[in-house]
This record gives sequence, structure tokens and C-alpha cells, in this order.
Amino acid sequence: MRSPAQRLTLRQKDALTGVLFITPQTLGFLLFVLGPVLAIVVFSFQSRNLLAQTADPAGLANYQTLLQHDALFPVVLRNSLIFTATLVPLNIVLALLLATLLTQPLRGMTFFRTLYFAPVLTSAVAWAIVWGFLLQGDQGINGFLAVLHIHGPNWLREPGWAMASVVVTRVLKTVGLNIVILMAAMQNLPRELDEAASVDGASRWQVFLRVRMPQLAPTLLVVVVLTVIGSFQVFDHILLLTNGGPANATTVLIYYIWFEAFRAFNIGYASALAVVLFVIILALTVIQWTIRRRFAYNER
Amino acid sequence: MNIPRKLSTAALSLILSLVVIVMAACGNSSPGGKVTLRYTLWIGADTPQIDLLKKMAQEYNTLHPTVNVTFDSIPFADYQSTVTLQLAGKNPPDAGWIVERTAPSWEKTGVLTDLGPTLHGDSAYNFGDFSTSALGLWTNGQTVYGIPFSNSPFIVMYNADLFKKAGTDTPDQLIAQGKWTWENLALAAKKIKDATGTYGFQNFDGALYTSNFWGTLVPVMRAYGGDAWSDTYQCGFTSAGSVAALQLIHDMIFKDKSAVPPGTQADFYSGGAGMMLGQLSRVNKLSSSHFTWSIAPLPSGPAGYHPVVGQAAMVVFKNSPHQAEALDFIKFLTTQQNVGRLAQYFPPARASVLGSDTLAKANPLVPSALMQSTVIDPIKNGKVLPAHPNLPAIELTLTPLLDKLWTPNADVPGVAASLCAGIDPLLKA
Repeated sequence: MRSPAQRLTLRQKDALTGVLFITPQTLGFLLFVLGPVLAIVVFSFQSRNLLAQTADPAGLANYQTLLQHDALFPVVLRNSLIFTATLVPLNIVLALLLATLLTQPLRGMTFFRTLYFAPVLTSAVAWAIVWGFLLQGDQGINGFLAVLHIHGPNWLREPGWAMASVVVTRVLKTVGLNIVILMAAMQNLPRELDEAASVDGASRWQVFLRVRMPQLAPTLLVVVVLTVIGSFQVFDHILLLTNGGPANATTVLIYYIWFEAFRAFNIGYASALAVVLFVIILALTVIQWTIRRRFAYNER
Repeated sequence: MNIPRKLSTAALSLILSLVVIVMAACGNSSPGGKVTLRYTLWIGADTPQIDLLKKMAQEYNTLHPTVNVTFDSIPFADYQSTVTLQLAGKNPPDAGWIVERTAPSWEKTGVLTDLGPTLHGDSAYNFGDFSTSALGLWTNGQTVYGIPFSNSPFIVMYNADLFKKAGTDTPDQLIAQGKWTWENLALAAKKIKDATGTYGFQNFDGALYTSNFWGTLVPVMRAYGGDAWSDTYQCGFTSAGSVAALQLIHDMIFKDKSAVPPGTQADFYSGGAGMMLGQLSRVNKLSSSHFTWSIAPLPSGPAGYHPVVGQAAMVVFKNSPHQAEALDFIKFLTTQQNVGRLAQYFPPARASVLGSDTLAKANPLVPSALMQSTVIDPIKNGKVLPAHPNLPAIELTLTPLLDKLWTPNADVPGVAASLCAGIDPLLKA
């Protein structure tokens, strides 16, 4: 008597093995990713209050409120765009600059590589607490500036400075990861092209811009996509440093979603906001991948 | 290639995954008919308050061997949202604390068990011993939503060493002279700042700017004849008294520079401020301080002396599968004897304890006479912080609007008007 497994052909056994191996991951994805995502879409058409544990059909009411009646939504959207539009270029330019410097064959580079990557490994909470201490109104960095007779701003309590502080501290926290990705790409670039360009009379800047940058384009676009998505998803940093303040100056979309869901308990409205965020990130990603196909010549 | 071994590995990993999921889903089962109650509260796990509660839970377990209690500490700022999520996620705590200003919203949503039928019918428990004023937020006719265990007046904690260095009268000296007013508190704070460089005043727990705890403004607004909102839900920020009070606090921060400003982290407990608003439960943090300290009742203002009381109650959550046990446990915690024991940290709502020597002598750090003037008398004459069923939405609106007050050139009456314009529709909803 053969067991059921023995009756299967080799091909069927392989297929069954594969299915069994991916089943836990698939189950996890369905239960903990796809399920909640679909639930959020359903919730966005409901008037659902978490505290009261009520859920009534609301049609498009949440989306109408969002587009027509919520005076805060345009502010939050603008904040998110400002945050992304300042953080992404700053992060990318700094990462590119530091990656170029750190790939130079100089002594002590390992130390600097570790130094720039260390914030990535640091706990976000610890990072925010330390910066909250440094960015106090009359102590920390301002205490140092006072010694030099410079009156620093109240970094986290003045609307413009609060956003700038959040962006800069976030860049310092995350730039290390982009540095590592770009360094890896730079170290794989063939030196022959640089040397050929130099022989043809190209300056170091021209070599960087015209020879190295096109080769880095695919990696650079991946880094941009990841940084843009990450910038729209920033939450802990804002919660711990500014609580979305002062006067909503640093309230970005994810923070607003959290506030509506878990402070005001409007799960329906928060879900509509989450759907909007999803659409924004999806649109930006599609745009960036379209650009990638056009400019990254060696990518398929 | 060994196909059966590959198959068995894959099957094993699938089974293990399912087992983990099933175990995670069945984490609350109690073998042998024993019940484990989960009790949520917002004080830290290593505080003397929780040590006392654990001791009481052990005593309860001796009397009822089938019932164990675990205390689940949740930070205050996240308390309501965490418990709400647990309730929505069908993982409710059995019993726990709730704070006064959120009481109407909890009650309105129907997630609290009515304790009335059990408490009213138990003569030994003597529910009538709880003062009527203390029960105001927690009862509706015969319905009892919670048992207030902490009826704690706001107090002024002060660093006597800084007063001495500044050469200014301490709050107790000002009380003796009949001059303990908000105006003189502001003057003393300025003298401390000017003489020592240390801030003279800090708001309640330093929480005004970080989480915009508007409640810290209520004592000064009431002393000036205003309030956040009235009992009939009329916005009070724009009243002349409230505006004068907000102006006083604003001047202390930005003109006198004597109050800890927004964006600055100062710690009263380590000597970072001359005075701080607090409650009796904060006093034990001063036991190891390196300076001489004392406490005083709230100052009076142009509208007289208005003690302000913060409350918290013990409740049973309706979705708890252990209703009877949870209710019996909080009854045990709030018997006359145990309320007396808790009184060293949590001023009681039981008249028998309030009127006895028990409370006056409850906290070894606070002399009896001081306990009388700062805690016992204010409980009798004080008014609880404002509350509202729409509080989550009101706080969502107040937070950014109050931020505009904490700027050097803020138009105080203008900001007050915007506060009322923002919350009026929510107060009336």
C-alpha cells in the first residue's frame, strides 16, 4: 500500500512542496496585510466610531468631508508635501555627497562609514528624545549659541522652524541607509569609463555628472522611491518631537490618520484618509517608475 | 533529492505556523476554573501605589483562591486609546481606572457595567458613605458607572530653598498673611527667576505644551471667575475671568519669563522650578529630593478661592467575561478599610474616611495640618475638572488652537475667542 505522497509524480510532489512552503507566508499576508488593507477600504465608506463601537454605512460622506468640509486636510496635505519636498532632495544630495566621499581610498573611511550609519541603527525613540533635548528653547543647541551671543529660535515651538527641525533630524537619522546603498552601487562602477573620460579631457565634475551619474541612475531612482515612500510614512519622529504642533505646523498625513483613528476614534474618517494616502503614494511610485524606464538606460 | 523529507519539513513549518496562530488567539484561557482578572491603570509598574494594589490583590487572592489579578500599566497619554482598542479588539480588560474628563464619553458609549444593583443592595459595603458630590460624574439615578477612588485636589508643590535664595515669602507664609493669590504666586515666581535663574513656576506635570493638558489652566481660570466650560456646556474661555487668567499665565511665560516656557524641558522634582501644580499622588516623588519642599493649596484670585479636584474611578468593562469577579474585586478595593489604606496616595470619596483621622495621617510625608488644608478641605469645597461626552473631539480641536497662545506675541483675547469658536459646536452636539 503506497502512501498518498508516494502516488504523486515528481512534478506534483515538487509543486505540493512549493505550495506548502509558501502557505504560511501567504496565510500571514492574507490575514495581516491584505485583510486589513481591504478592511480599511470598506471602513472608509462607513461612519465607524471605535469608542462607541458603532459602524453605519456612510457612502461617500467621509470622502466628501475630506474634500469639502475638513479645513485641516489641506493644511495636513500641504505639510506632507513640504516635508517630502524638502526631505527627499536634502537626503539624496547628502547621501550622494557622502557616498562619493566615503568611497574615496583614504585612511579612516571605515570610521566615518560607521559614524554615518550608526543613526540608522539607533532607536527612533532615543533619537527623538535626544534631539528634543538638544532643540529646547533656551538650552541644548541654543545654550551653546548663547555662549556665542547668538539667539537661536525656539526650534520645536515656532511653526517654520519646527518643520525644518523635524526634516533635518529625520534626514540625519535615515541618510545612512541611502549612503550604504549608493556606496555599494558606486563601488561596482567600472573605473575604465572614468579613466577614458579623463584621458579625453573631462574634468572630475564632468566625469561625475556625465559618466558616473548615468550609471548610478537605476540605483538613485530606487533610493528616491524608497525615500519618498518613507517620508510619507513618517510618524514616530513627529509624535515624539512635536506632537504635530505647534498649531498643526508639523501634522502630516500619517500623524493625522493616527490622531483621527486613535485619539478622536473616527475609524471611518481615518480609513478614508489612509486610502487617500495610499493613492498618493501609489501615484508617486508609478510616476517614479515611469521616469526610471525613461532615464535608466540599462534597466528593463 | 529526498522529496518526502522536503514535504515533511514544509508540512511541519505549516503546522507550527498554525499552532502559533491558534496559541496567540487562545492566550486568555484559565485552566482549572481559575480566573485571572486584568486590571488596567496608568501608574508605573515600579511605584509604591502599585505595590500597595498588588498587596491588596494578594489579600483578595487569599480570600478567593480562584481569582488572581494582574495589573496592566498603560501610560496616561495612551490610556484611553489603548483600552478602547482592547475593547474593540474583543480583548477587554476586566476592570480598571478611568479619569474624570473622559467619564461622560465612556458612559455614553455603553462600555461600562452598571455597578448599581450590586452596590446598592450591600449594606456592609455602605455605598451611601460615598459623598454625593464625588459621585456626580459616575452616577445617573440608580445607575453607577464607577467608584471614585481618587478625589485629588490640585495643589502647589514648592521648593522652599529657592524661595529662601530669592528672599521671598513662601506660600505658607503668604497664606498666614492672607496674601496667597495667583498674583502673588506670579510675583514670587518672578523673584525666584530673577534671583536664582531657575524658573519660578511650572504647569501641571509640565504637560501643558507637550500634550496640551488644558486642565492645568482650569485652577487659575476659576480663581479669576472663568472656566473652560460650564456645567451646561457653555464655553468659558472667552469670559473676562478666563481671559485675565490666560493673560496672567502668558505674561509669566513671555513677559516675566518666570514660568517654564514651551520648548523647554524643566524638572521640578530635580530642582528645575520653584513651584509646580500637582496632586497628592506626586508627593512621594519628592521623598528623595535634595531640596526642602512643601505643598500648599491653590492660590485664590479676584473671584475667590476655588479648589479644583481631579477624579479617577474604578470601573468594570461590560465586555469582560468575568463580570462578577471583577465587580467583587473593585468592591474589595473600595471597602472603608481599603479606601483608608489607599488614602496615602489617593484622597478618598468616602465620607467616613474623609472625616476621620485616617486621611490626615495617611501620608507620612505630609503633616496632618497640611493634609487638612491642601487635601481634606479642598475635597469638601472643590469642584471637579470639566468633562464632556465629546471630549476626544474637543481635545482634538483645542490642541492646535492652544498652541497659538504659547507664542510671545499671542493676542490672548483673540485666541480665547478662537477656542470657543472651535469647541462651541462640539460642546452643544
